[in-house]
Amino acid sequence: MKSFRTYNLTPETRKRNWHVVDAEGEILGRLATRIAAILRGKDKPEFTPHVDSGDFVIVVNADKIKTTGRKLDKKIYYRHTGYPGGLKETSLRTLLQHKPERAIYYAVKGMLPKNKLSKAQLKKLKVYAGSEHPHQAQQPRTLQP
Amino acid sequence: MRIKRGTLKNRRHKKYLKEAKGYRGSRGSLYRSAREGVEKAHSHAYRDRRRKKREFRKLWITRINAGARQHGLSYSEFMTGLRRMDVQMNRKVLADMAVRDKSGFAKLAEMAKTKV
Repeated sequence: MKSFRTYNLTPETRKRNWHVVDAEGEILGRLATRIAAILRGKDKPEFTPHVDSGDFVIVVNADKIKTTGRKLDKKIYYRHTGYPGGLKETSLRTLLQHKPERAIYYAVKGMLPKNKLSKAQLKKLKVYAGSEHPHQAQQPRTLQP
Repeated sequence: MRIKRGTLKNRRHKKYLKEAKGYRGSRGSLYRSAREGVEKAHSHAYRDRRRKKREFRKLWITRINAGARQHGLSYSEFMTGLRRMDVQMNRKVLADMAVRDKSGFAKLAEMAKTKV
């Protein structure tokens, strides 16, 4: 029998769909793993590691995300300004008050591989605090829980 | 007549420089750097011919897993089901079916479900 080649997806042949997910009452990390897998395209049989083959994900009600335990105050986000003594910290509670979209964004970002594709994959994640999103034109499908 | 080594040396150098064509900077033009680059490339090629087998198997498993999950089965459940049915297809074929022959893959998944 003639040998055949393993299927290879290219940027021209990929199909990129849109999903919308309601974050209300979802657990932060549990939701983020599923989102990360979709952004990478690992839910598709056509998955190709060197091509950004994943779908777009819209998250609404990002401010109503849940965490277990005492993470609201115990989970700290660090960043450094570059100046001496410039290490800043924000707890999840204040983050959710001031930039509610960021919590899911950071969680998913940390779960994506650190490579050339990750930036493009992260760009396909759209997070909104309210229940509205401006992507109706893309006809997103609701993600099953 | 006295034999000198110039021609042989020249030939050897040309062999490496020919293979290093297109390398960046001095690695494509200077013999010593070119030889380092070529030897490294050969050792990577040798290593990766062996890795290729593992990496493709990994990719097929990822794809079969994605395909099986669309039918409500995990990879391990799917494969267990196929083994109990004595299906002899390898992972390369199964992964290809998940992409190109979705109805056939769906049938396999339905059959596997009854055996899990």
